[in-house]
Amino acid sequence: MGLEKLLGDGILATRVSALVNWARQNALWPMPFGTACCAIEMMATLSSRFDLSRFGAEVIRFSPRQADLMIVSGRISIKMMPVLLKIWEQMPEPKWCISMGACASSGGVFDTYTLIQGVDQFIPVDVYIPGCPPRPENLIDGIRKIQEIVSKERLWDAKHGN
Amino acid sequence: MNANHPVVARFRERFAADVLSVEEFRGQTVISVKAPRAVEMLKSLRDDAECPFDMLTDLTAADYLRLDAPERFAVVYQLLSMLRNERLRVKAYVSEARPEIGSVSSLWGNANWLEREVWDLYGIRFLGHPDPRRILMPDDYEGHPLRKDYPLKGRGERSHFPKYTAEEAP
Repeated sequence: MGLEKLLGDGILATRVSALVNWARQNALWPMPFGTACCAIEMMATLSSRFDLSRFGAEVIRFSPRQADLMIVSGRISIKMMPVLLKIWEQMPEPKWCISMGACASSGGVFDTYTLIQGVDQFIPVDVYIPGCPPRPENLIDGIRKIQEIVSKERLWDAKHGN
Repeated sequence: MNANHPVVARFRERFAADVLSVEEFRGQTVISVKAPRAVEMLKSLRDDAECPFDMLTDLTAADYLRLDAPERFAVVYQLLSMLRNERLRVKAYVSEARPEIGSVSSLWGNANWLEREVWDLYGIRFLGHPDPRRILMPDDYEGHPLRKDYPLKGRGERSHFPKYTAEEAP
């Protein structure tokens, strides 16, 4: 823009939304909703070999009030679904959701009376990760896709409670 | 354990009227009995002088819907005598019209949760159970899903939840 030339060193002209989204996308705080083997892959993704902290999303929050990304990793039974909904309600806006693996996305092979056939029926899912379970690289890819989505957020829309 | 073991003979003699059959298959003995005196029978096996079955290794049930069996349901007790290292299986047949049987949770403490599981999934009531709640399915669940006539995909339980969209913040 050339404005920096006039203002000198230490001053950066940008849009507020670009700055906020840049900060948000590189500091995602996931709420792990791990109920099955996908959660094991999620733990591997977080630990040193795959090191999710390279992408700024290693601060796992076990309090939904401090989290902005829910990772549903595992099968959700009808007894667990009210818990999932309560945690989703408790997460402050803006928030995003990854449905990790076949079970969370579609019920997987468990087409039975007790398994939710995809959490996207009840909560808005931003990114689906295929696999049974997905490898850590797939989860990292999913987090990168969430970062893309975050980078395109507008500050004044419904997602942010406005 | 062989079917000609003395403890089986004693059992048959004492409860002759209620024993339906004694079968041995590959060294495993199964005693099939009628349900009403099941607790008394199992107590006699637990307190047997020679071969006391002091451990209940499992308690479960079977649904013989459309199969050849004395009644629709059987409650199955797997017993172990830790003193004699003998195992015995007792099947107590329960009718579809009155699916109930006495509780053995006063004989073996672990029967408490096992009987709750059988009640939850098969709908067999255990009379005298100290805490007859469901154990696996949600408390407000209706029906007993391991019965063979229960639809595999349920009766719509898995879709009765509030829905949130990205537009309306909860």
